[in-house]
Amino acid sequence: MKGSPAGSDDRSAILEVEHLDIGFTNYGRRVQVLHDVSLSVGQGERVALIGQSGSGKTVTMRAIIGTLAMPPGDIAGGNIRFQGRELLTLGKSERNRLKGGGLSIVLQDPLLSFNPVLTISRQMDDIVRYADVRAGVTRSKRRRRQHLVDTLERVQLADTERVLSSWPMQLSGGMRQRVLIAMALLNSPSLLIADEPGTALDVTTQQEILALLNRLVEDGLSLLLITHNLGVVREMADRVYVMEHGRIVESGARESLFDAPSHPYTRKLMASVPPLYGERVRKVDNTGSTPLLSLESVTREFVSERPFFGKRRAPLRAVDQVSIDIDKGDVFGIAGESGSGKTTLARMLLGLTRPTSGVVRLGGQPVHELARQSSFRRRLQIVYQNPGSSLNPKRRIAQQLAVPLRYAGLTRGAIRSRIPELLEQVGLPQSHASRYPHELSGGQKQRVAIARALSVEPEIIVLDEPTSALDVLVQETVVELLLDLRKQYGLTYVFISHDLSLMRNFCNRVAVMYRGAVCEQGDTATLFDAPRHAYTRALIAAIPVISDAEEARKPAVTRLEREAVLVSTTG
Amino acid sequence: MTLLASPAEHEDAPLSNRAMAWYRFSRNPAAVVGAAIVISVILAAVFAPWLAPYPEAAGSQVDFRNRHGAPSLTHWFGTDNVGRDIFSRVLYGYRISLGMVIGVLGLAVPFGILLGLLAGYFGGRVEWLIMRFTDVMLALPPLAMALAITAVLSPNLINAMIAITLLWWTWHTRLIYRIVKGQMGEDYVEAARLAGASHAHILFRELLPNCVSAISVKVTLDAGFVILFGAALSFLGLGVQPPTPDLGTMVSTGSEYLPEHWWESMLPGLAILWAILGFNLLGDGLRDMLDVEL
Repeated sequence: MKGSPAGSDDRSAILEVEHLDIGFTNYGRRVQVLHDVSLSVGQGERVALIGQSGSGKTVTMRAIIGTLAMPPGDIAGGNIRFQGRELLTLGKSERNRLKGGGLSIVLQDPLLSFNPVLTISRQMDDIVRYADVRAGVTRSKRRRRQHLVDTLERVQLADTERVLSSWPMQLSGGMRQRVLIAMALLNSPSLLIADEPGTALDVTTQQEILALLNRLVEDGLSLLLITHNLGVVREMADRVYVMEHGRIVESGARESLFDAPSHPYTRKLMASVPPLYGERVRKVDNTGSTPLLSLESVTREFVSERPFFGKRRAPLRAVDQVSIDIDKGDVFGIAGESGSGKTTLARMLLGLTRPTSGVVRLGGQPVHELARQSSFRRRLQIVYQNPGSSLNPKRRIAQQLAVPLRYAGLTRGAIRSRIPELLEQVGLPQSHASRYPHELSGGQKQRVAIARALSVEPEIIVLDEPTSALDVLVQETVVELLLDLRKQYGLTYVFISHDLSLMRNFCNRVAVMYRGAVCEQGDTATLFDAPRHAYTRALIAAIPVISDAEEARKPAVTRLEREAVLVSTTG
Repeated sequence: MTLLASPAEHEDAPLSNRAMAWYRFSRNPAAVVGAAIVISVILAAVFAPWLAPYPEAAGSQVDFRNRHGAPSLTHWFGTDNVGRDIFSRVLYGYRISLGMVIGVLGLAVPFGILLGLLAGYFGGRVEWLIMRFTDVMLALPPLAMALAITAVLSPNLINAMIAITLLWWTWHTRLIYRIVKGQMGEDYVEAARLAGASHAHILFRELLPNCVSAISVKVTLDAGFVILFGAALSFLGLGVQPPTPDLGTMVSTGSEYLPEHWWESMLPGLAILWAILGFNLLGDGLRDMLDVEL
């Protein structure tokens, strides 16, 4: 076990984790969550730790930075050495001195990591001041301020003065992520740990953040990247550790891992990533061409409530002159980044929001008129993004599935015999009928939500990012289920998502939305193989892929084009 | 990603809600002590006629030879100014107190919940009307209100209960309103609407179950405060009238003989404390167990 004492044969390692065993005790039961985890990060190296949720990567990270809650956690064995010093036995004050200066962290959620009521400058200054106190030095306010400005410039934020005087709410997601990185850099750490960097952001913004991290590594920083996204790993890491059920199952250089994954789990993980190009792309066809749902230059504006004082603000145009025709049997993808108006569009399809102008027609009749009839709900249903929110936490699965059936006029007996059928259709065991949502996994919950949508035998199901809350392995099974159900019941799907690579493998037609308008639409193969609009090209080019072959086939985007269409994240 | 792999994520052995709640409860000594105290109070009240050593003391019995008797083996809590056994009167006093709790909360809580559900669910004008009315009721000083009501209606147990009820529902309305407002953003409410569910279904089948934990904690904590408020009214002569053995009245009468006959006011006072302590400890324990914020 003590084969390689720090600093002897592996002189360049900045972080070494050896044989780490960690358990958690909850409700009187101890569960071992890390089994003999060993990993190392070399000086100036980019290392990725990859795994699905629950694999133990966050626990590993917490153990390294020293924020593991103990109890319920306990470190049963192992070593963590940083620059040759054992961290697990380090005293609290010495440990604190390492914070920020030695190793630093960028957390996942750019908004949750800020205190909403303090300005950026105050929050950044606190970090510098406390570090000064620990180091026993004092700097003038002006010198500290200059340091903040310098650091913000390092993360390529323009207009630093405005950023410093802002509150977190006033910055865009990309800017917040940059500020967060700047905060981690304030005390010039030698190792940066990034937990799912940019995951909460749009792909185009995420790409810029990843490029920034890469540039920081070129300046001499070491990086430990914690992520579930294989595409990000391929773009970012020199070396990769794959984690499953608290064990490192495979590790190696990036190239060898992506070219020839040896562990079955790694292979499964790679196979579950929807391919953007190549033979593995799943082709979804629709042979029929009966028009079913159509949008005729639909526009929706939002008018803010008139304030008590002052004037009403100009109306916000969320959806702008959108015309789309969806045929029976289509899997129609509506793609767009956050704020592109795709959710508003979905709500208009469902008759929940009325268009300001234009009309949505279902089988030739306007939806806003149909929506008043109870039979309309039997024709159009929805599956929401987050099953944790779309299922009532205090009601049993059977009770929840019974609701649409009851209001569709079924008798008690008919409902009772229909529920087992529904569970079977979505591949859930009968015993789950009496469970509560929290007793199911994320994928199972989403299956229940699909069963609920299916229960009234609708013609169209609107899928609002149905897999974005799920792990890739689970995502794949849910997508297969959906395609299966479509074939069996002749369903039509409207799939709303920001995930273009999934759309590539799931839809037969796609419309791309940009600032409320549809900038390009067409059949999936054409749109991905020969995108015409600059935004579509930029969007596709930004998707992290897992092979060089796919990378090579991405559309070319000129710098000018990208800058012209993308909402800048630099301020 | 969650740090703790919650038991629910493990397919094979999910701990049920009940098992987890019981685990948290049983590891909380204050809650267990609270539950024991509450049970002792309830048993005392229910079985008062059998437990009381001198059941006749509950009425207008007079025994001047034994007046102002200090606590002893025959009279554990001593005797009062007319020679009645105070311990027996305390047991009967709990009957009055708990009766009051059931009466007040039995009316105020359902009413408050209903208004809170309506205000939170419908929003708009309904919300404005209900919540502003609630605000007005909250602004009235409770004792002055009770004073006014009992002055108009004559002071007795029923009228004291009416007075407390009129003020009590407001807190439940606010609590439920806040929870429902939070739940309205959840997709399951919209999903129910898309399934064609009626307003009544969404209110009572979808939203109400999500309020139950908070209500049960609030009701437990309330029980203690209702006892206290009822005793305060009786102490001021606005509530239960002699010779009914009410704890507040006993403290009030006994206080005339302080300090030499301290037991006549102090021991009924401690009995009030005991009951309130029990309900508060239990309420706090339930709050931890059910993980609700009030």
